[in-house]
Amino acid sequence: MTRVVVDREVCMSAGVCEVEAPEVFELDTAGRLQVGEPTDLTAVETAVRACPTGALSLVED
Amino acid sequence: MLTTVRLEAAVTAPMLDLDAVDLSDRTFWGAPPEQRHAVYDQLRRERPFAFFAEPVIPYIEPGPGYHAVTRYADVEAISCQPMLFSSGAGAVSIADMPPDLNEFYGSLISMDDPRHGKIRRIVAKAFTPRVLEKLVGNVQAVADDVVTRARRAAEDGDGTIDVVADLAAPIPLRVICDMMGIPDGDRALVLRQSNVILSGGDPELVVDEEQMVTAFLKAGEELAGLMARLAAERHAHPADDLTTALVTTEVDGERLTHQEIASFFILLLVAGNETTRNAISQGVLALAEHPAERERWAADPGLTRTAVEEIVRWTSPITWMRRTATQDVELSGQSFPAGSKFLLFYGAANRDPAVFADPHRFDLSRDPNPHVGFGSRGPHFCLGAHLARREIGVAFRAFADQLPDLEVIGPPARLESSFVNGLKRLPARLTGVR
Repeated sequence: MTRVVVDREVCMSAGVCEVEAPEVFELDTAGRLQVGEPTDLTAVETAVRACPTGALSLVED
Repeated sequence: MLTTVRLEAAVTAPMLDLDAVDLSDRTFWGAPPEQRHAVYDQLRRERPFAFFAEPVIPYIEPGPGYHAVTRYADVEAISCQPMLFSSGAGAVSIADMPPDLNEFYGSLISMDDPRHGKIRRIVAKAFTPRVLEKLVGNVQAVADDVVTRARRAAEDGDGTIDVVADLAAPIPLRVICDMMGIPDGDRALVLRQSNVILSGGDPELVVDEEQMVTAFLKAGEELAGLMARLAAERHAHPADDLTTALVTTEVDGERLTHQEIASFFILLLVAGNETTRNAISQGVLALAEHPAERERWAADPGLTRTAVEEIVRWTSPITWMRRTATQDVELSGQSFPAGSKFLLFYGAANRDPAVFADPHRFDLSRDPNPHVGFGSRGPHFCLGAHLARREIGVAFRAFADQLPDLEVIGPPARLESSFVNGLKRLPARLTGVR
């Protein structure tokens, strides 16, 4: 199964992933990234690539 | 066309004597960009970590010198390893500034994690693409109004305008001041003082070089004073603006200190103004030099997404940011001792043929376009990238629709600064006026 991993030290809450895959990523009111099930894998891959700080990665379990 | 000839000159320029080039010489940056691109090309090929002595600044102890990083891959490697390549020693000046000055003027830019991350996450919320969506109407209204005023100014006068003062400067200034809730009466002061802070000591803006440091300090003081007043007002009467968010937000139970707010405020005003202004003014110039591209974009609004990215790649409004090695490091097989300074030349990385096909071609449909005009991958990637993209896109659509008769009529006056790639003036006229 494919899972999204967020490196919390690296994430700067830029919010690019929210735009690329809005059903999977959401910044909460404290600016912390919440990640749901990676439903649309293509969109998630785009979000991972687009992250300006390189905080996201996909892992296969 | 004159333009085409000059561009080809940059590509096929005869070998330069690199020993005669000094990137620390301010006048080098006042010359037409073709010159710097010819130098970048040769440095990238022959001396990808060329070493330069530091510029002399009155009252500041000169440091050991720096390496000019011109290859895309090296810029990226340095940016994405912040533990090895620190920003905390100063990212916006070549010399090591006194720590308090460094932090005050550099704010987040000259700070390392974890502190950088803490503050950045507080402010990031106001700059996410999702939040900025709500601002689109405002940016559009500002751009429309600025364009209308520019036309009126041309009609009331002799038909000429200054692209910098009449179009490029007011759009980002008004957008960032609106976001922060700055009263109209204080906006001229914001423009004047942010010009001084980012002048790089250009003689036109800082008349006496001996007074450069004093002028910077005074500009910072005035902006900090404005912020203190505004912050106190927002504490008492919260409003729906960024300043209110800054003074009231908590992260892990901590609020930003007054000092942190003041320096961040200066960062936003300065970084949020100059960079976008210079992208817009030099974008207008680039379109004037490439009339076919201008026509193509005017006819096809669908080109806007890639066109904005190409303008940022082409202009690279911030020339460099600095990093300092925290330990002995290796880059592309070369070793550097701890304490080595590196200037990441974004405009050079953005023309690296290893990444960009035909890099000296201005191509509004370039895609993919992984430029580093907003910085490379890493914690310091431009906070305002989305805002800037929005502003540039809206501005150029407004120009295409409402100023189709805009014609650049003279060479630009370039800012003599190694740090900011900017224009002071760009004369133009509206041919429809007379």
